[in-house]
Amino acid sequence: MKLISDYFRTSIWTVISFILVIFLILIPLASFLSYSFFTVDGLDINHEFSLDNYKEFFIDEIYINTFVRTIFLALVVMSSCILLGYPVAYFLARYAGRYKYVILLMLIIPLFMSYIIKIYMMRSILGYSGLINKVLKMMGLIEKPLEFFLWNQNSVIITLVIILLPLIIIPTFTSLDKIPKNIIEASFDLGCKPFQAFRYVIFPIGFPGLVVGGIFVFILALGDFVTPQLVGGTSGFTYGKIIYSNFGMAFNWPFGAALASILLFVSVIIISLTNYLTKKLKA
Amino acid sequence: MTKLENFTKYIMAILTGLIVAALYAPIVMTIFFSFYKSRKGKVNWDSFSYEPYTKLIFEKQILESLLNSLYVGGVTVICSVIIGFYFANYYHTSRGKMKELLQFIIFLPFLLPPIITGLSLLIFFREINLPRSLNTVVIGHTIFVLAIVFKIILNKLETLKPSLMESAYDLGASKIQAFWYVLLPNIKLSLIIAGLLAFTISLDETLITLFLIGNDTTWPIKLWAKMRVGFSKQVNASVTLILILTSFLVLLIATIISRSEKRIMY
Repeated sequence: MKLISDYFRTSIWTVISFILVIFLILIPLASFLSYSFFTVDGLDINHEFSLDNYKEFFIDEIYINTFVRTIFLALVVMSSCILLGYPVAYFLARYAGRYKYVILLMLIIPLFMSYIIKIYMMRSILGYSGLINKVLKMMGLIEKPLEFFLWNQNSVIITLVIILLPLIIIPTFTSLDKIPKNIIEASFDLGCKPFQAFRYVIFPIGFPGLVVGGIFVFILALGDFVTPQLVGGTSGFTYGKIIYSNFGMAFNWPFGAALASILLFVSVIIISLTNYLTKKLKA
Repeated sequence: MTKLENFTKYIMAILTGLIVAALYAPIVMTIFFSFYKSRKGKVNWDSFSYEPYTKLIFEKQILESLLNSLYVGGVTVICSVIIGFYFANYYHTSRGKMKELLQFIIFLPFLLPPIITGLSLLIFFREINLPRSLNTVVIGHTIFVLAIVFKIILNKLETLKPSLMESAYDLGASKIQAFWYVLLPNIKLSLIIAGLLAFTISLDETLITLFLIGNDTTWPIKLWAKMRVGFSKQVNASVTLILILTSFLVLLIATIISRSEKRIMY
């Protein structure tokens, strides 16, 4: 009897849990995917199946071009974050000694500090009469203020790197910090040169953290629409901004949903691919 | 240490310093401009005043958006910690295979671009005719932070020995007593950490909120709207206050974590 009641109890838990996630997560996702097959009729949504939205995506060059350019932009942001973040995580884990957690905390705090403000202030740092130009001018390195920092792709990239950098540093640090010192010493005793020790011992152990951070940065950069809106100007628009505009001014929800479905599809492929690759590397 | 290693070490130290400076530059500038005035890019060093902070009391819109944000954050904490605990406990105690699927679904809104979570809820609410309000924002935030809350509580549950709850039952505790007197004191800290983290994230959530907000505004949305006309000094002052609050929250979380780690060690 007890077994049956136990079984009954867990199954009620299961049912309730699934009802919750189905209503909060799965049905919204499904309704958004189904919207991508609808069309818009003035201010009404026409609930009939059609592939028009997807056709438009593939016919009108601007959408594919923007999508490819945004993927490229996200890749640049990710690689810059890795190039800047990895040495920092490495330094903290190996050399910072007892200050490492303090510095780590200092790097974490900005992550939670107002997203909008950071983007807004990047304007006054990168702008024509911004901080960077002023400093460069004061140092006598330039005569005329540089213009390539603001209202284009570069400003979007720089801003996203500043915002997302902690996301690379934290997981990389956590996996590098786990390496016991004696493993590194052992590799030296066995005749490794410093670079070899890094290449064959330290880097492989820290790699999973780097991948986790890299994926987060890539996905967030890919879907961002606020940064391009605020610092991107006319030439810095991204795929996310096009999706958002279909839900605002343009009021074409089904088409926006179709564009977002493509984004979803690509994100899922990338997440599962890296998941698969890291598992294979571990094995 | 070789010379080369020493050299790379210093290069990395300088890079770390530069990056800390770059991460804080926008924040420091905001705080600076809440005290000083500038005209045409030149700072007027004599213009120090804390007047914007006292004037903030008269800025009804900003204060209202701040209150809305606190409301959303508070309710998000309550919802996400309760649901997160429920899922973590389910995941921890159940032996079925369904729990892996459940974990995967919980993590979806956290892993996918926020724009997708935002607009899928937007479309869902439209289809079920639920008007957008602060409460729809709460739903969005809860789903977004649920994965983190779930993971923190689950990590804690997994450190507890199964014998703990078993002995409570053996000694005659009812389910509620075992939960209240045995389980809850043991996982209390993880609930607090999860709640604080959920609150901190909710306070600044922008990307999902933009889709779900109705006629009310939360604080980040107010900033987003104000940005088109430029920031007044009162806005800068409100930013400074919120920055103090979030730094305090993060420091609090860090202190609790490091204290609880020490307690495990000894």
